[in-house]
Amino acid sequence: MVRRVGVVALAASVVVLAIVSAAGARTTAQAAANASCTKGVSIGMQAPITGPAGSIGSDQLHWAQFYFTQWNKTHKLKIHLVQEDTQLDPSKASTTAQALASNGAVMGVIGPAGSDEVQAVAPIFKKAGLAFTSGSATRVSLTNGAWKGYFFRDVPNDGVQGPTDAAYMQDKLGVKSGSKVMVVDDQESYSTGLADIVQQSLTAKGVSVDRESVSQKATDFSSLIAKVDSSTKVVFLPFQVASEAQLFAQQLQAQGKTAVAFGSDGTFDSSKFTQNGSYISFFAPDVTTISADASIVAAFHKQFPGATSPFGAPNYVLAQAYAGAVTAACKDGKISRAEVRNDLGKTKLSSTILGGGLKFTANGDVAGAKFHIFKIENGKYVTIA
Amino acid sequence: MTEPTDPSTPRVGVDEWVASHEGRRAHRAGVAGRVERELARVPRPAFYLAFGAVAALLPAFTSNGYTIRVGFDTLLYMLLALGLNITVGYAGLLDLGYIAFYGFGAYGYAMLASPKFGVHWDTLAVIPVVVVATAILGLLVALPSRRLLGDYLAIVTLFFGQLFVTVYQNGEAMSVLGFTKKYDVTGGPNGIPNIDNFNAFGFHVGSLQAYYYVALAVFLAVLAAVYLVDRSRTGRAWRSLREDPLAAELMGIPVNRLKLVAFACGAAIAGLAGTMFAALNTAVFAADFDVPTLIIVYAMLILGGAGSIGGVILGAVVVNVSLEVLRTPGHATWVFFVLLAATLVARMRPWRWVAVVLGGTIAFGFAVHAIVSAVWPRGVHGQAAVGGILGSGLRHWVVLPSNPMTIGNVAFVCLVLAVLGVTLLHGRLQKLALVPTLYLAIFVWENRLAVEPSVTRLILVGVILIVLMNARPQGLLGTSRVEIV
Amino acid sequence: MWRGAAGRTAPPLRPPQNRNLFVTELVAGVSHGSVYALIALGYSMVYGILKLLNFAHGDVYMVGSFIGFGIITVFGGPLNLHVSVWLMLFLMFFCAMLGGGLLGVMIERFAYRRLRNAPRIAPLITALGVSFFLENAAQLVLGAQYQSYNAFSWTNSAIALKHFGLPAHAVISYAQVIVVVGAVVLMVFLTLFVQRTQLGKAMRATSFDREAAAMMGIDVDRVIVATFFIGSALAGAAGVFNGIAYQQVWPYMGFQAGLYAFIAAVVGGIGNLPGAVLGGLVIGLAQAFSIGYLSSTFSDAIVFAILIAVMIARPSGLLGRAAVQKV
Repeated sequence: MVRRVGVVALAASVVVLAIVSAAGARTTAQAAANASCTKGVSIGMQAPITGPAGSIGSDQLHWAQFYFTQWNKTHKLKIHLVQEDTQLDPSKASTTAQALASNGAVMGVIGPAGSDEVQAVAPIFKKAGLAFTSGSATRVSLTNGAWKGYFFRDVPNDGVQGPTDAAYMQDKLGVKSGSKVMVVDDQESYSTGLADIVQQSLTAKGVSVDRESVSQKATDFSSLIAKVDSSTKVVFLPFQVASEAQLFAQQLQAQGKTAVAFGSDGTFDSSKFTQNGSYISFFAPDVTTISADASIVAAFHKQFPGATSPFGAPNYVLAQAYAGAVTAACKDGKISRAEVRNDLGKTKLSSTILGGGLKFTANGDVAGAKFHIFKIENGKYVTIA
Repeated sequence: MTEPTDPSTPRVGVDEWVASHEGRRAHRAGVAGRVERELARVPRPAFYLAFGAVAALLPAFTSNGYTIRVGFDTLLYMLLALGLNITVGYAGLLDLGYIAFYGFGAYGYAMLASPKFGVHWDTLAVIPVVVVATAILGLLVALPSRRLLGDYLAIVTLFFGQLFVTVYQNGEAMSVLGFTKKYDVTGGPNGIPNIDNFNAFGFHVGSLQAYYYVALAVFLAVLAAVYLVDRSRTGRAWRSLREDPLAAELMGIPVNRLKLVAFACGAAIAGLAGTMFAALNTAVFAADFDVPTLIIVYAMLILGGAGSIGGVILGAVVVNVSLEVLRTPGHATWVFFVLLAATLVARMRPWRWVAVVLGGTIAFGFAVHAIVSAVWPRGVHGQAAVGGILGSGLRHWVVLPSNPMTIGNVAFVCLVLAVLGVTLLHGRLQKLALVPTLYLAIFVWENRLAVEPSVTRLILVGVILIVLMNARPQGLLGTSRVEIV
Repeated sequence: MWRGAAGRTAPPLRPPQNRNLFVTELVAGVSHGSVYALIALGYSMVYGILKLLNFAHGDVYMVGSFIGFGIITVFGGPLNLHVSVWLMLFLMFFCAMLGGGLLGVMIERFAYRRLRNAPRIAPLITALGVSFFLENAAQLVLGAQYQSYNAFSWTNSAIALKHFGLPAHAVISYAQVIVVVGAVVLMVFLTLFVQRTQLGKAMRATSFDREAAAMMGIDVDRVIVATFFIGSALAGAAGVFNGIAYQQVWPYMGFQAGLYAFIAAVVGGIGNLPGAVLGGLVIGLAQAFSIGYLSSTFSDAIVFAILIAVMIARPSGLLGRAAVQKV
């Protein structure tokens, strides 16, 4: 009897806790229109921290946390990161977006990571007046002006990467009209979007494209690779998981195929994708090769030991942009979401760990976006274009 | 003693009434017993109405968008669990592809009320069509159930669920066996966006509060229907089917027809929930309707007690609210400490021992903190994960290394082993071992778990599921059942 | 040269190319299927005795994989190995099987033991709770990143790098051969154990009728512990095989593999050990052939459709016996 009462009491206490926290939760941001800067500022973060995309999201989170930890050590204005886990699911993204929007202390959001998630949360953030930035959502239509002044991203979109890759394949990799290229997507929207653009660019020039797709969890591509014949020049792999690209490239070479593997920016990871002779496109030089970054990368590994991925560094830069915006907004001692939005739009960083400056266009894209092509030689990434 | 101590001895020949008899005898004593008896006399619908009243008042208490959104999500889960309750709880059929019906309903609504195919039917036309279509789909999926029993039916429904996800996830380039042009049917990984909001009786349901009320109204209506069905002949027939299909068949109950109807009803309810999901989210993606969501619905149903409507409500609230509450580190810390205290109180009798153990832990903590700060100063310079009074109090008690990652990880593994070890001990030794274990738990919490709330909440939910199912296998509000040998 | 109706030449049929594809698919299917089969064996063994669907089994596979990765790191990491590869392989298998077995035993003791007589759905949720716990604890402690065995770059190693060709010009890697041969060896050991030893006989008796076995003096607890140990050890070994052949390890890998292995166990006839192996092979081959010959996009859907047909044709699984219902 006591046990039954105990168990039901436990459940009831959870419910009571929920109601109490709901009642105590701060109401909409309108109430915090002009908050004071003295106690510090909160920035929200949405990322797929757990779940199938956990490797991407936890890396993004760690880099942002790293930036703010370093910032808080040397600045009087403290910035606090409020993390929310979306598991790359747009409906969870909109629920957690509501949480951030309703939290009057949050002045801006880093994230979400996926293009679908961005579309799901945009109306919520726009209504709440929050700026939101993404370091990995690359769908072209996100910056068509609907969320001007609210949405920013510091990675170039597929509309830049796709044509660059297709052009390089035609210029330098011997892909001519009548050649064959195999394009393999991993059934996620980042991948299919980029694959579609590349396929279109190539077929417009008379190249025949064999479009395949695999699941992100696939590890054995022998069946697909057996379809690659001697007239296939390039296999384009816009994967999000670098080790999957490595497996594909490795099995490709193991089967003795002459086709060369070409990965997109999601596969840019010198600790995982190391198959000699493969190509990769990326929007920045290799962070680990920039000598100025070496100390930053070392400090990061001290705080977060273990491997990292290419999706992390853009979020470091976003955190940096927010720090700048918050400092500018706090000059008068008071901060509001509208101020942060405006100051974020005016961000002008002369150099970031991504090896260039950061400036946003009017619609929220990165100004001066350019993709570099790398070739893997002796396990190292060599910039060739 | 209410249960035999050794779980491995078979309980031959014990049935439900006897299993609950021992519990019933214990209930009669004391104030709590009297309260329980009075509550048992109140008819069930009164409880459901009370729940409905409380839920309806929620938007009046708070205008916090997040709370209302969580309320809406919980109502959807409740609806899903209610539908699953019919298939699993009433008819006893393990349906592992249930979530595909949810997805089918959502996509059905999306296809009929969005710019995707240019079709914009009125809500009052779309919803019945979608619900009926989902019910028919449920019938089709249930057809194999006539030949398949138990786990084999489960696996075929699982196949169907995975088939649904695969087809819809890749449905942006479907051609008939490669012969025709490729059609974009489901939008593939990009889903179907820009779905219309609900539009009925001249009301345009646009705001979050409005959707919450719609969901609540629908849920109460379905609840009433399910309750009435449960008390009808069909409900009794389902229960007999669940208990013993062979005996039911011998009694002349149309077993196959009942299975089909159970599946169809569950599917229809899931389809209805799907339409509301699609309307609020204004976009649907196949990944939402995969096994992880199914797992959550099952956890809610079974935690609450399969076969019991009140259990469905309670289970959904407990699981979803826990998942959301645990997102915030501050709340999660309170929940953690309350759980620790509650476990101690529930398991240690007499209660003066609880005070002894807690006192011992506090003293132990101060001692350890003093030793560590003397021997290794960097060990106490870290940040407390939690702010406020609790945080500043803990700073002087818990060892907080300045770089807690590796130490925290090792301590976490040690903590798991220590907790498992403590459950193996008895008596004084157990209480003695509890002191350092409690300190270690708080150490790990502060240094490692509270720092990563997104991962921690799933760990905590896993632990809660394990502990609750072990403590009460029939679910919170379920009835004890024993399999007859 | 044959001239088609439109005046264009049709390409001549190239038999070597078709045979090449066939053999490649066959080998891929068998090697993938072997990994599924090893995990499915553990599922089937536990189900046979306890009628429990152990959803945490896939996570034991993940832990085994990580243990193997840990051994590689201890010996200098994949690029700087300073011991002989064969010694390291032996250690990897030994530790992964031991670790996996112990983990399985712990899970049984602390999560499932009290639920032996509970309605079957309760241990299902407990298993899910264990699965949540293991996956997220692994992410907490080991990080969410994909780690790689990098087996192809092991110094002094010829296993994953070299290949040998078959008459049909197909190429299979040593790693795939190791996976298949190792899986066969383990299955043979298991069969010998179950058929020839005392404990194996006790396991068979307990899976047939638990109460009667208890009455015959068999220590059911010991048998269950042994079952979990062996089944989980097999899953741990499967984890190392997967790492060698397919490199990747990450905290959520157990979920997908566990799902496929569960399907394999049931399709083969749950509770039936040869059936689990057959089920694993069927799934592996169906996947490989549908990717190769039909559509890579819809290969999963095709596999599931095939399996639905199989289950309807044989409702108790491929090798399962129809359960006799006692009245």
